[in-house]
Amino acid sequence: MEGSSDAVIVDRVLRGDVEAFRVLVERYRDRYARYALHMLGNREDAEEALQDAFTRAYRSLDRCEDPERFAAWLFRILVNRCRTLGARRGRRGRTFVVDDVALMAASVEHPSDRGAWREEIERALQQLRPEQREAFLLKYVEDLGYDEMSRLTGVGVSALKMRVMRACDRLRELLSEVHSA
Amino acid sequence: MLDDHERRIDHIARELKREERVSSSFDVRVMRAVRDLPRHARLTLWSRLTTPRRITVTPLSWGLLAASLLVFAVAGTRAVLVEESTNPSKPITTALFAAPAKKQTPQAVQFVLVAPDAKKVAVVGDFNGWDPKHASYQAQHRGGGVWSVTASVPVGHHRYSFVVDDSLWVADPIAPRAVDNDFGVTNSTLVVQAAQE
Repeated sequence: MEGSSDAVIVDRVLRGDVEAFRVLVERYRDRYARYALHMLGNREDAEEALQDAFTRAYRSLDRCEDPERFAAWLFRILVNRCRTLGARRGRRGRTFVVDDVALMAASVEHPSDRGAWREEIERALQQLRPEQREAFLLKYVEDLGYDEMSRLTGVGVSALKMRVMRACDRLRELLSEVHSA
Repeated sequence: MLDDHERRIDHIARELKREERVSSSFDVRVMRAVRDLPRHARLTLWSRLTTPRRITVTPLSWGLLAASLLVFAVAGTRAVLVEESTNPSKPITTALFAAPAKKQTPQAVQFVLVAPDAKKVAVVGDFNGWDPKHASYQAQHRGGGVWSVTASVPVGHHRYSFVVDDSLWVADPIAPRAVDNDFGVTNSTLVVQAAQE
């Protein structure tokens, strides 16, 4: 079943094979953990958003209109869960802090210089406004086109371009400050 | 050729594209949560016809079913009698099933939002395909931060929202909210009734 298409697995789940859903979890958890981690800034929140996205996807699976594009549908749910969770964390007065992300980046598999650079990037990323961070990650890390980003977020293309441009400017500014300090 | 700025952004993006892994207990937690949810049970047409199923019948449900059949029979008989009295040459089968529904024409609905800082306000909903560029649903600034548009909406229950400056979704502050649609956006609800004749 591991080699089956998403549509085949979705069909099995819809016929009552709950355990088939595990294949979809294994297939997409790491791929989308990256986005949630960068968006929310720490592993605990990222995994909460990702788990929430999977359970919501399961619950609404019969409303997935194109099971061949299950991945895109799941990602759309995740993007919105990250928005909701980020906003809720923000309202509780918690700031985005670089903790797990930075620690992971500085793990033994990377040279120390690279770990430090990665830490700087993560810190700068978390200082962006959430909508700018979202647009930057979708464009440059997930490699989506503006039309697809627009369909995914419900935001107009021109507004997205503006957000990406501002995110890039801000990142350059923040990382230049680090280097000049 | 990339300039310095583009190179730097490219460098940042490459660093952020490194794979991340969830914790080892993630799959177990997700599957535990999923098993707690109701199991899907979609059946094919053939399965529906051939799979034995247990059904529970209560006196109340039988009563409702019987009452529904009675109402249908009375209404159908009345339709036949009326049709026969006005057009005796028309076949009975046509009269029974061709009772015309009242034509429900779309109604004009005014949408109003107070948004003093907005540069553009549009209405999106299931009635215009959630299209923020739909020409008939672009609100006009009426002064004092008040935006409004009067548009034609079909009779029935609808979900809608305002889109401010092409990016911000705002639920109508004076309308009931719809349940979260699983995509993190809360919309407003609207009921358009047929005009009284």
